[in-house]
Amino acid sequence: MDVLRLVSVLETLPTDRTRLLDNLGRLRREVGPIGPELSDTLADHMSIRRGEVHEVVSFYSFLQVPVDAVRVCTGPICDCAGSRELLLEGCVEVPCLGHCDLAPVVLDGDDVRGGVTYSTNDGPSIGLATRDDTLGDYERRGGLSLLRDLPPLERIIEELKTSGLAGYGGAGFPTGLKWEAVARETGRPYVIVNADEGEPGTIKDRYVMELRPHLLLEGTLIAARSLGATEVYVYLREEYAGSRARLAAAIAEFGTAGLLNGLSVELVIGAGAYICGEETAMLESMEGRRGMPRLRPPYPAQVGYLGRPTLIQNVETLAHVPAILRNGGAQWRELGRELGDGVRLWSVSGAVRRPGCYEAPNGITARALVEEHAGGFTGEPGAFVPGGAASGILPPAALDVPLTRDALTDWGAGVGSAALQIFPRSYSPLRLLAETVRFFAEESCQKCTPCRIGNRALHHVFEELQHDRTPMPRHQIEEWLDAMHLTSICGLGQAAPYPVRNAFRHWPELFESLDRPHTPAE
Amino acid sequence: MVEFTLDGRNATARDGELLVHAAARNGVFIPTLCHDDKLDPYGGCRICIVGVEGASRPLPACATAVREGMAVSTNSNVPQLRKTLAEMLLSEHLNANPAGRPNELAEMARDLGAEAPFILPDAKREPYEDRNRLMGYEPDTCILCNRCVRYTQEVMQCSALSLEGRGPEARIVPTWGRSWLDTECELCGGCLSTCPTGAIYEKFMEGSGIEERTLEQTKTTCTFCGVGCQIDLNVDSETKRIVKVTSKPEYVSNEGDLCVKGRFAFNFVHHQDRLTEPLVRGEDGGLHPTSWEHALEVAADGLKGVMERHSPQAVGVLASARLTNEENYLIQKLARTGLRTNSVHSCEAT
Repeated sequence: MDVLRLVSVLETLPTDRTRLLDNLGRLRREVGPIGPELSDTLADHMSIRRGEVHEVVSFYSFLQVPVDAVRVCTGPICDCAGSRELLLEGCVEVPCLGHCDLAPVVLDGDDVRGGVTYSTNDGPSIGLATRDDTLGDYERRGGLSLLRDLPPLERIIEELKTSGLAGYGGAGFPTGLKWEAVARETGRPYVIVNADEGEPGTIKDRYVMELRPHLLLEGTLIAARSLGATEVYVYLREEYAGSRARLAAAIAEFGTAGLLNGLSVELVIGAGAYICGEETAMLESMEGRRGMPRLRPPYPAQVGYLGRPTLIQNVETLAHVPAILRNGGAQWRELGRELGDGVRLWSVSGAVRRPGCYEAPNGITARALVEEHAGGFTGEPGAFVPGGAASGILPPAALDVPLTRDALTDWGAGVGSAALQIFPRSYSPLRLLAETVRFFAEESCQKCTPCRIGNRALHHVFEELQHDRTPMPRHQIEEWLDAMHLTSICGLGQAAPYPVRNAFRHWPELFESLDRPHTPAE
Repeated sequence: MVEFTLDGRNATARDGELLVHAAARNGVFIPTLCHDDKLDPYGGCRICIVGVEGASRPLPACATAVREGMAVSTNSNVPQLRKTLAEMLLSEHLNANPAGRPNELAEMARDLGAEAPFILPDAKREPYEDRNRLMGYEPDTCILCNRCVRYTQEVMQCSALSLEGRGPEARIVPTWGRSWLDTECELCGGCLSTCPTGAIYEKFMEGSGIEERTLEQTKTTCTFCGVGCQIDLNVDSETKRIVKVTSKPEYVSNEGDLCVKGRFAFNFVHHQDRLTEPLVRGEDGGLHPTSWEHALEVAADGLKGVMERHSPQAVGVLASARLTNEENYLIQKLARTGLRTNSVHSCEAT
């Protein structure tokens, strides 16, 4: 460790607890991986108990890893593409690097091996086909008009409600109601952009940030201005170096153009923890603690960042706001197909000809998405995942189901973050299930019993089942799934049973041995 | 005062009272593992979940305040969920009794009829060895309820323990896995007292085969300083020896918290070198038992002799740290008015 470097960096680090994660990230980049000595040194500098900094450092995947480490994605799509063969000695395994359209994905330090390419389309709401390189580009396309002539808050909320826009991070909470809930609170609120995209298969927020960062900022500033916030934070996953650079540049352009006007927009860089995409875990992380979800109620709209009302909104959700306000909520809603309202960005990956991110109506079917946008299937499709890891695992028969919350409920699945992952027939649904549950087990924050142990146990059961062993009878697995769904604190544990129950239902032949007399494994 | 119903019966609670307490006062015991009244509600183990009408999921009674008109149920699916949660905890609980401390999980599992379906392949944790001689820790007994960690952060403000890592490798360990002696720990043993499974224990109890629950408790006042902490001497009924010291949250002045001396420094009681009667040095140079009257007389004569030969200022008084405020007052009174010296001090002040 370069002690002189450490001393000079340390002097510049702020001591407020909310800066802990940021300071750790800077120390890692500028001095080296955070070991016990660096951790203690920073703890003393910031007057935080050493044990508490140890807890935080060890919570994240990357703080103890060199910045130039090779990171290999082993998310289901990359696993299916053979990424495990790339896992050489010293590589760091990451569950999803958010570049599933380029699978198998390897990061050399900050850089995506082989370079980043985009496969996308033009669309009526976000329109990713043309990249905005500068604020000028964005303005020439009609951008900034809403920010410069802000409609009254009541009208904004009304239009959002009419549009049917619901959070595109995965939970799907109606956006208009969320803004209304924050507006109802007294005191100055915070606005946080959830850019911690980590749901396996999901690449859409990265597409927005890298291709249309100014659009995201306009949507964000509309929220901040109309709700009276003066501080905006963008919580961005550490793996997205490209997005980081583009956002930082765009924020600077807004500042130079006088568009921030007393508002501050800051990037908060994560350090490798899927659960920090959960909004209350994100708040904990930003406040300098382990990213473990809070008990609800109260909700962040009432008691959020530093105890104040907080609007936390996914990147894509905010990027739709300008289009909704420009053309009206009703017109945006009409963009949907079947029973779906409006459009969204679909991340399409796996056994398709042109994996990428496509703007298409809600209510489109998986087959139409693949055929109209992603160039068609490569070979015969097997299992597919409609949303993210927790959205479910569906058989080819469901390819023609409109991808809406209601239609998928009949199949025991959900739309989640709209990360459509098509697996070839050769990839066993049991393997997909085991990999999915392993992901949950490894990302569990460890706070609550059902998520912490349930996912590990299920992973064990499905690994054993691949070797024809059944350590637990089906009725007991069902009881454990119930407990996970009903008693977990946050969505991670609550939703983990969906893919399991889907697989039981749609591939019963793979699980028949669970009904035979129970043979405990060693 | 708020009114609510508990399993269909009318019940009342104080404003803002937690469900777990309100239920207890209304005759319904709700088991908990991660809850400790001294700590902020955590709601992690989920054992205390109850059904609440209108809520989409069961809620943790340890972290939910009673609201007016709330309809709470502890039957329906709650017992089954609780049993399943206990099964989960048991499936990574490898060593239920490292040193005879009570194990609330094992007892609860017995009551619920819960058994582990299997032991998780990654249940075994890295052993923790420590050179301190007072506190031991068996990671395999830990259920990650985080009580000890929260105790160090919220009560003792020493943060000597950390919940380390994420996923299956997570564990509780002193800061960066160091010896407790190399952390901010003062060996107060508070983490030990709040551990519901006995994963942290008195090291000297290891292998003794003595169960804490079988010991006879005698409540007394700690003699180590003037604070007057209330303690329970835990006596082995066969040997009549004190084997450990505990305290209870309801005890005044210390609320169950102790320091390293109060909790661990009791072995002087049975020590062979302990003085149990007054001794006076004889002409032969050896110490001889005598009466208190004679001993005090010898001491007084000695002091008077020094005062006469060298003036009262030649006498100094050093009071023991174990004395109370009132006793210290009397000592300085004796020094200033009786011995007429200003040289009086307490070793607590240094």
